Amino acid sequence: MRGVRAVFWLYLAVILIGITYCIALGLMGR
Amino acid sequence: MTDEKSRGFLRDNALSLAFGAVFLATLVGQALSGVADYNAQQVADGLEPVSLAQYVTSSSFGVDVMENWQSEYLQFFLYIFATVWLVQKGSSESKKPGEEGTESDKEQRIERFADDDSPAWARTGGFRTAVFSRSLGLLMGGLFLLTWTASAVAGWAAYNGEQLGQLEDPVSFLGYLGAADFWNRSFQNWQSEMLAVGSMAVFSVYLRQRGSPESKPVGVAHAETGQTG
Repeated sequence: MRGVRAVFWLYLAVILIGITYCIALGLMGR
Repeated sequence: MTDEKSRGFLRDNALSLAFGAVFLATLVGQALSGVADYNAQQVADGLEPVSLAQYVTSSSFGVDVMENWQSEYLQFFLYIFATVWLVQKGSSESKKPGEEGTESDKEQRIERFADDDSPAWARTGGFRTAVFSRSLGLLMGGLFLLTWTASAVAGWAAYNGEQLGQLEDPVSFLGYLGAADFWNRSFQNWQSEMLAVGSMAVFSVYLRQRGSPESKPVGVAHAETGQTG
């Protein structure tokens, strides 16, 4: 299950990075 | 159904990895078609076209990504909660009529009914089991709120960019939350998710996809609810 757990965290990380990136773009007013 | 034998990383995670790869490919597709569309509008407005790098670091790209993400997480959040309490007779997506609700501790195998290999937080009881019992819905609901907020923040910046390009006044963030642009983007995405979920619930009553866990087995009666195969 170690590999499965890695995929779980990879998904969560990609989602949170995507959200943070888009909020940053908005806050920077680009 | 405990620990199945591992058949290697790629095969064990084929579904998640395949969708992850297609997600990245389609995101690139969105960026490429998005910059072309954006530049067509820029030229029509008598403004300078932008590069791909400028486009993918723009709030215009950000809001287009986030407005779609938020509706997907809203869909899953609502579906996860709605299917606890509401049934669709005959649907592979539904529990059987009469099973509505959060079910007993025994049926859910928590606390003293936990199995040897149950997750630790299913066994402990109290606050941890209460949280773990709702963790999927909480994550989907939390991601919905985050992505919806992100679509509002990026949408606000993109909207003001357009306003300035057309020599009109920018709006405050609260002003944008009341703007038709924000709600049009939100409702546009929500309506399609609700239709898709409802379609899936009712179409799976009478139609089958052999081998798919989203479908009932081909020979199962239409009236049979909640069977997957």
